[in-house]
Amino acid sequence: MGVRNNVTVFLNFAKEGFDKAVLVGKLCCCVHVVNTYFCSVVLAYGPSMLPTISTSSSLLLAERFSHRFNKVDPGDIVILRSPEVPRKIVTKRVIGLEGDRVTYVVDPNNSDKSDTVVVPKGHIWIEGDNIYNSYDSRNFGAVPFGLLQGKVFWRIWPLKDFGSLRRRAK
Amino acid sequence: MGGWRVKAKEALAQMSIAARFLCLLHVANNYLVSPTLVYGPSMLPTLNLTGDVVLSEHFSHRFGRVRPGDLVLLRLPVDPAKIAIKRIVGMEGDRVTFFDSNATDLLQTLVVPKGHVWIQGDNPYASRDSRHFGPVPYGLIQGRAFLRVWPLSSFGSLEQ
Repeated sequence: MGVRNNVTVFLNFAKEGFDKAVLVGKLCCCVHVVNTYFCSVVLAYGPSMLPTISTSSSLLLAERFSHRFNKVDPGDIVILRSPEVPRKIVTKRVIGLEGDRVTYVVDPNNSDKSDTVVVPKGHIWIEGDNIYNSYDSRNFGAVPFGLLQGKVFWRIWPLKDFGSLRRRAK
Repeated sequence: MGGWRVKAKEALAQMSIAARFLCLLHVANNYLVSPTLVYGPSMLPTLNLTGDVVLSEHFSHRFGRVRPGDLVLLRLPVDPAKIAIKRIVGMEGDRVTFFDSNATDLLQTLVVPKGHVWIQGDNPYASRDSRHFGPVPYGLIQGRAFLRVWPLSSFGSLEQ
């Protein structure tokens, strides 16, 4: 009789635990869906987007749907999968879309030589705002549009820089 | 007066069941296994010209477990809206040899750069692949096809 009581208690406990786990699972699903299809938080660090984004870690908000409808324009800051390290997501600015003629300084640290290239079909040209210290399309060429993951539109950390990162007026 | 309220509640309940089912379908399709209709001449004789339904799994490529010889679904670098199925011939660092797409008796060799893969269709005469648009970034791979389910006469594994 004592054993049956214990078993019942245990089963109740297990059921409650399972229910809570299902709830947590549903919450995680929700967070994941919002992250992948609406808006996600991006941790950006590194010097390649100075002065727009500081070297130390910043938290940015990136929306994840414009690129699915091709609504990406030159001047937008985008997040994309690095063409060389597929697990890494990098933050850069779009300089040219397919068909655009892009002129860029090849190696601003050492010379003034510039080069012009036409962005091939299905690709985009990205550069960091800090061309002296940025590994971007000037190094690995135009990247396929399919690697884009989203468009950055807002900075939430550090708080003193809280605000919009919308396209610069050209 | 209360009649429409009851009906509205019932409709909402049915819609929520439908929504949950679609969610599950979406998750399975994007992260587990999904069926895809593939057609075209570029993968003859492996896949038919008029169309095959293949099952492809969407988790191996997230862990880097894609190997030369695998049939993969990928976004084309020249047209991001299109998804194609091709075979992986070389991974990063591999040296690939192929006939030049313009002058078909000219043999070219190159080393696949870091983070990229070299893909070719099984039918080299009717396939636009890496011989035309170069090595493809690994990030464009969407999944790996492993089983053909339609037509039933050719039901079977696509592994080598």
